[in-house]
Amino acid sequence: MATEESASVMDDYETLISTTDVELLKRAWRNEKAAPEILQFESSLVQRIKEQIELAEQNVEISEANNIDPLTVSLYQMDLDRTQFLLRSYLRVRLQKIEKYLFYVLKTDEYLNRLSKQEQMFARRCTDDLGSHLDETVLAKLPDNYQSILKQSITSEEDDMVPVPRLDTFVICKAKQYLSGLDFEPEYSMEITEMERDLLTFVCYKFIKKPLENGKIDLV
Amino acid sequence: MYARKGYELVKDLANGEKGQLQPFNEDLFNQVVDQCTQHYLELQALIRKMHEESVDVRETRNADHYGALIHHLSLIRNKRCLMAYVHNRAEIIQSFAWKVGLELLELPEEVQEKLSPSEKNYFGKHSAALQSYMAEVGIDLNVDMVPPKDPYIKVRVLDDMGEGILLSDKTANLARHSMHFLKRTDAEQYIARGLMEELTG
Repeated sequence: MATEESASVMDDYETLISTTDVELLKRAWRNEKAAPEILQFESSLVQRIKEQIELAEQNVEISEANNIDPLTVSLYQMDLDRTQFLLRSYLRVRLQKIEKYLFYVLKTDEYLNRLSKQEQMFARRCTDDLGSHLDETVLAKLPDNYQSILKQSITSEEDDMVPVPRLDTFVICKAKQYLSGLDFEPEYSMEITEMERDLLTFVCYKFIKKPLENGKIDLV
Repeated sequence: MYARKGYELVKDLANGEKGQLQPFNEDLFNQVVDQCTQHYLELQALIRKMHEESVDVRETRNADHYGALIHHLSLIRNKRCLMAYVHNRAEIIQSFAWKVGLELLELPEEVQEKLSPSEKNYFGKHSAALQSYMAEVGIDLNVDMVPPKDPYIKVRVLDDMGEGILLSDKTANLARHSMHFLKRTDAEQYIARGLMEELTG
């Protein structure tokens, strides 16, 4: 009986911990790091975290000024540093993805809409810069019909010079709840039918794209 | 053989150590560009010949058509090689902004020498874009590159850095070979530039 009770207390504790903003950010960061494409920007979460960081900074300053035990202060500082690292790393991973798939992100509305306003500005600027660098170094020296940055030549019907994120890479993931066939894209119903809760699964990214976007799966 | 030079150019890139830059291979690069022009001239010559023989350029499948096709494909392949060369180098250059620093002058001289003028220009512009993003968001993204274990780390100064460098909580006299106990966020930028090393253990 007692062990059962303590188990349920632990469960409560874990759900509480797993819904703090820091934990949510950690999840967003992990997903972003593991996914081959850029995911939706967590704007309200980032906003909240920024405010919390500011608050924590003030707290540390006040504690320092009030001569509170330096060990306690340094623990607060450490906690703060970790949160800051998470936030920075999250933003950084996203920028690096934007850098990598610049042209594709910019010409695909679906991706462009996932970026924050600042990221969009960054992406536009980068595209201009990289575009003019490529123009100057390569394209301007090629014959007229071959000068497009997006197409191999004017005879190409599609943009076939643009690096595209590879959605068929494999990722490791864990479902947060039991997933039935309805949670997956119908077109992959042959490949994937269900997924147990909390079971580590090694799977092709595009199969689990939908439940990931719906927050039912975490990447590891 | 057609498009061999382009292959060599990409090979040149692939042979380099990952994340390290080789000098811009101007010579080979220009040879590939010249080849492109050459292919185009021959392509046009073949098409003109087909016009003169008044055969339908779109429909006819004769030797000239396939000749032209080969030139077209070789040209495209060369273009892809050229673009891959420049684009991959640009990716390495982007990574410098993260790993080394945002100013061209912060890059070690031997790296600067390997960049073409256009690449130098690109590095500057790209850094500026990054900087304006950071200013816009209000967060400095260039520190904290590894997860922090301890807010303070022990470092040794490797180069003369001059006196009175302002750190966030104190000024320190960072003389060469002296050892300090600094905030990680303060020290990281100097470690990245090779002015300090972290002492572990």
